[in-house]
Amino acid sequence: MRDPFNILVAGVGGQGNLVCGRVLAEAAVLSDLRPVVGDTFGASRRGGSVLTHIRIGRTDWAPLIPKGEVDILLGLEPLETLRAASTYAGARTITIVSQTKIPTVASTGKITTYPSLELIFESLNNLCKQVIILDAEETLTRIGSMKMLNSFILGALGVLDESPLSLEVIRESLQSIFGYESVNMAAFDEGIKATQ
Amino acid sequence: MGGNEAIARGALEAGIGFCASYPGTPSTEIATTLQELADEYSIYVEWSVNEKVALEAAAGASWAGIPAICSMKSLGMNVASDFLLNLNLSGTGPGGLVIVVCDDPQGHSSSNEQDSRFYAKAAQIPLLEPSTYQEAKDIIPFALKLSQEYQVPVVIRSTTRLSHSRGLVIKGEIPKRNWSAVQLSDDLFNVPTPHLKHRDLLNKMEQISKLFEKSSWNNVPTKKEIDVLIISSGICRRYSEEAIHLLEAERCDILNLVTTYPLPIKIVKAALVQAKRVLFSEEIDPFVEEEVRSLAIELNSIPEFHGKRTGAIPAYGEMSTDIMREAIAKLMKIKFDKIEHTDSDILIPRPLTFCAGCTHRNFYWAVRKVRKRVKDKLVVAGDIGCYSLGVFYDRAMTTMQAMGSGIGVASGLGQLARFGFDDKVIAVAGDSTFFHACIPGLINAKHKGANLTFVILDNETTAMTGFQTHPGAVHQEPNLTRVKIENIVKAIEPNFFARSNANSVPELVDLLFSTIHKDGLKVLLLDSICRLEVARREPAIEGISFRIDNDLCKGEKCLICVQDFACPAFNWDSAVNYPEILEHLCVKCGACITVCPYDAITEEKIE
Repeated sequence: MRDPFNILVAGVGGQGNLVCGRVLAEAAVLSDLRPVVGDTFGASRRGGSVLTHIRIGRTDWAPLIPKGEVDILLGLEPLETLRAASTYAGARTITIVSQTKIPTVASTGKITTYPSLELIFESLNNLCKQVIILDAEETLTRIGSMKMLNSFILGALGVLDESPLSLEVIRESLQSIFGYESVNMAAFDEGIKATQ
Repeated sequence: MGGNEAIARGALEAGIGFCASYPGTPSTEIATTLQELADEYSIYVEWSVNEKVALEAAAGASWAGIPAICSMKSLGMNVASDFLLNLNLSGTGPGGLVIVVCDDPQGHSSSNEQDSRFYAKAAQIPLLEPSTYQEAKDIIPFALKLSQEYQVPVVIRSTTRLSHSRGLVIKGEIPKRNWSAVQLSDDLFNVPTPHLKHRDLLNKMEQISKLFEKSSWNNVPTKKEIDVLIISSGICRRYSEEAIHLLEAERCDILNLVTTYPLPIKIVKAALVQAKRVLFSEEIDPFVEEEVRSLAIELNSIPEFHGKRTGAIPAYGEMSTDIMREAIAKLMKIKFDKIEHTDSDILIPRPLTFCAGCTHRNFYWAVRKVRKRVKDKLVVAGDIGCYSLGVFYDRAMTTMQAMGSGIGVASGLGQLARFGFDDKVIAVAGDSTFFHACIPGLINAKHKGANLTFVILDNETTAMTGFQTHPGAVHQEPNLTRVKIENIVKAIEPNFFARSNANSVPELVDLLFSTIHKDGLKVLLLDSICRLEVARREPAIEGISFRIDNDLCKGEKCLICVQDFACPAFNWDSAVNYPEILEHLCVKCGACITVCPYDAITEEKIE
């Protein structure tokens, strides 16, 4: 594992970024590693962009990932994933992105048109080493709601060869936060299936 | 453990018995954490009405022998500073008093960018800046002991990235606590000889500087040959370490200062003689940089200084590893691959806005309507809270500075008719802000006969910072007594008072329009709703749904709902070129029904 190993979670306020950070930090501790997690929230609960920086290493690193140093980018929302990638992605960045859009609000002036997914994914491909696109909407709506997207994407992360945290420890960490019975565990399993 | 939780844990381990605070990002979690543990550890914790009252309350406890902590955000220190710059001379008594101030570089959640460390210098009191989560916890017992020993308030300064990030912390023991109050000493004032109290304080600070020299808080450089010495403080220590690691900068080392005021003189001088060049790494202003620069005059040979004063580091905005990497690389002529992506033009912004169904939107919608009707002859003096977002809502708010400044500014504008100022004047404040700082301004307006309309958007909670209870909140904890805004306002006897419902848009427009045309001091108390607060207490409304009838909707020719009113529950469906209501975001408030001029939005019962 690279030290530090850097995971960035990009989403919109209310999508569960912070929980992703908690789960991965706990998983890092279970793996005898030291996590540092930096959240950007503040006023962003009002539907703004949210980023969670997760640094995993043998020592404590700074709470923000330096530009270009992201190993894995977890994208809960396409536009926000592109926004994060355009600042933080580099030559070794692998991106896992959900294709379900959360529309932006036009508060003044003209309606800003949400770009097409094709354009977003094309730009992401230019910025990253690899892009994995997830279609979680149908599955998650069936088993619960899109609120479980964070658990779903953690499943997809656990399957990656590059992940420094094994599927088992992520599962254990998720269980310790949500409980064994939680629908989040089912969402996690669906995330695993989606990428296998 | 987050930085703020670590500070709260440190307070428990220090044996704090009293905590007073006013919520403000990024400091809120300190008092929140202590409040959750208050009963278990017999601590008294309160959300005071403002930071000045909080500090005064904490000083009262400290004077009576109860160890106290007072946490606040940067701007809170401005409010508390009047008392602080007297308390420093009076002393803190036997209890001890720790003040924690959390600065917000870049103003992520603040109306300004300010460095609160200058207050420690202004008050001539000790300042400590933890640089890790462990230090954030461990520093509090040290600070309390320091305060008890020298009877001075001690300031701990954190910044957003330390307060709002998390790492591993090794916990210590929480002591048994059994506090009993003692009699106050009889010299808790500075007159008639404040200058002598000042002299005594300066003597204490000289001793504290020597104590800092012996303490193990500061990390001194260990490398033998140093080309560039970084002097860091706070979370910038980590940015500096990581930048050195990324650049593999061998001849670069760090002096990390936790005791930043007064400087540990011997430690700093010893480090300075080792280095030819010094680079400063600190958040917001060149505070340490200026202290070190003035100290260096006493050296035989003065090293080259680089930092915010020289432009090597940006003198504004937030610090990062990237900034340190670039500064070190430039000084040491190290090449690295800099990643700079040009911003893609498809990257449309995601602006901050009021939540779906927030009644603040309804109020500002009414302001926009009234502004049109009075041909733009309208000024809205704003205040601090969720409703500050009014500045982004078609500039519905004209000014926005400090807590309580809306009514204060308006009470000045309301006197300007004599100079030909003929705009109608509205001041806006929220409920928590009303208690925090609006009452003197309101009394001033009444006393001086200012011509203005003061609108209180009363959603009965401190919504911006996470629903802390304030004096006017409907839901009070069992030991708290509600103080009603309406009673306070009526006691001031405005020329006109009305209470109305902020969920009814047409009535709001009419009420606002008729009120601003009356003379004298008018006060509107608007019963508002925070949908996030409601969602915490009540289940979502089911059984009804709001739909847009595309036969009545004028689509692209209108756009009022989606572009002007701009509730986040509206989306423009570009596939059909009509707006749609997003079911999962809509809170079924019905405000949009009256906003649509074509009656195209209807409420329907669903199975």
